[in-house]
Amino acid sequence: MSAVRRAGAPLFLVPVLLTMLVPFAWMLFLSVQPGAGGDLTLAALARARFTLEHYAALLQASGFPRYLVNSLVVAAVVVGGNVLTGAMVGYALARKSFFGRGALTWGVIATLMLPKQVLMIPLYLVLARLHLLDTYAALILPFFVDAFSIFLVRQYVTQLPAELEDAARVDGAGELRIFVTIVLPLLRPALAVVAINSFLLNWNSFLFPLIFTNSDRLRTLPVGLALFAQGEHAVDWGLLMAGSTISALPVLLAFLVFQRHIIEGITAGAEKG
Amino acid sequence: MSRRRRFEASTLFLLSPWIVSLLLFGLYPFGFSFALSFYDYSPLNPQSAKFLGLANYAEALRDPLFWTALKNTLIFVFGTIPFTTLLALGLALALQKRFRGRDFFRAGFFLPTVVSIVVISLVWKGLYAPEGFLSSLVRALGGTPPRWLLEPHTALASIMAMDVWAASGYYMVIFLAGLQAIPEELYESASLEGATPWQKFVHITLPMLRPTFLFVLVVNSVRSLQVFTEVFVMTGGGPLHSTLTSVFYLYEQAFYKFRLGYASSIAYLLFALTLGLAFLQVRWLKLESPRT
Repeated sequence: MSAVRRAGAPLFLVPVLLTMLVPFAWMLFLSVQPGAGGDLTLAALARARFTLEHYAALLQASGFPRYLVNSLVVAAVVVGGNVLTGAMVGYALARKSFFGRGALTWGVIATLMLPKQVLMIPLYLVLARLHLLDTYAALILPFFVDAFSIFLVRQYVTQLPAELEDAARVDGAGELRIFVTIVLPLLRPALAVVAINSFLLNWNSFLFPLIFTNSDRLRTLPVGLALFAQGEHAVDWGLLMAGSTISALPVLLAFLVFQRHIIEGITAGAEKG
Repeated sequence: MSRRRRFEASTLFLLSPWIVSLLLFGLYPFGFSFALSFYDYSPLNPQSAKFLGLANYAEALRDPLFWTALKNTLIFVFGTIPFTTLLALGLALALQKRFRGRDFFRAGFFLPTVVSIVVISLVWKGLYAPEGFLSSLVRALGGTPPRWLLEPHTALASIMAMDVWAASGYYMVIFLAGLQAIPEELYESASLEGATPWQKFVHITLPMLRPTFLFVLVVNSVRSLQVFTEVFVMTGGGPLHSTLTSVFYLYEQAFYKFRLGYASSIAYLLFALTLGLAFLQVRWLKLESPRT
């Protein structure tokens, strides 16, 4: 790409882009139109109005504020756990040599490739046996240590020179001190990628939170929204689209700010293939 | 490097989260559910668990709904992946060249992949509604709209179209990374020898992208074989089981009927299928790959 050719966009991309954006624009549009059933046809555009009644209704008289808080709390704790344990384990797997390193590394890759439905039932039973079903712990503990985060950090550390660590070792610093004061700061770029990827994955997670919780007060946004849409509100499109917007907004914001990190995370995952 | 020989306490400490997690939430459940697939087991009455041998597996193979779900899942996998892959590759090729607004286009194509599949399914359920956006669009263009999710022979295809829309941006990003990894010199020397753009595409781009194709196909198959949330939100498996997928069926058996042993055997059959498909893709694309 030497010569900078600044031509216009290829024309066929425009309809594709519109196809990608129109559903979201339609979601936003319906979420601010008055009326319970909502007019879903194109003709609604001609009668466009603006109201925040659906947002007000959701925030005042439904479980949504609770779902939102649950999603935020669970995501914050899981992301924190993924970042911390990813750094610890990823660093150790990349730098230390010990008995069983191959097996533990293989465990990371196998976990990455394993279809999650195989673990659905047994994880449910493990949590039942630990008396953790329908608690916050069920939404957090199984996801606190994440294979993909470990994998990303491990790949990153293998490309870092070990000189700084070795120099500190010569100076007599302990291993944990080296990890905290030297390694962790060096890992910052990789941990940013880990954090944003964990956030997206956890914020959007549906199947496991659906199975592991029963009570309304423990629902996260995706579960709350999906079950809300199955109940008496199945055709309250204004409400449903307002709820969808509330669920999508945090990831859209995160996407706008951290687009580069998100894409780095995906391509780093692809490079193992 | 004398200190690296022993298994140090500090190393054990750093590894401890993964060791605990792998045992408690990985290996133990994995082995436990395998054992479970040979039992009749309900969490409502765990004391009466009975060893059945291979009876759960035999029942699955005789269960018409298991086959319906498997058929729908395979239609979903093989019906979406070619379109998703071609669209992702086409978009990546188009975005490879520099032009004004390229980053904006890339962000737009990628956008659906960061949004929760629950939200996407709900929005598309609205688009597909009988008096919804798509129906009125078809009418405005002078056609008769299909009944989308309400008709057995269009419901699955409607969900599949949404999946292609939602997933392409992710694989586009992977193809873009693959394209960037191809050395520029290859194209330059081909140009010197008078190769046409099409020749360069066929003889340089496609062969060099083989590892990327492999990754995209394997990841997308593993993902698509697990299709669940779309069905849960949009159709509940209907109408007339036309959108019943394997993981949805497994979910129903486990958490509505509480037949955990039977559901585990379905999970393992699906797992074997996933492994088999991934293995075939690896062999197909690796065997012919050029030595790089």
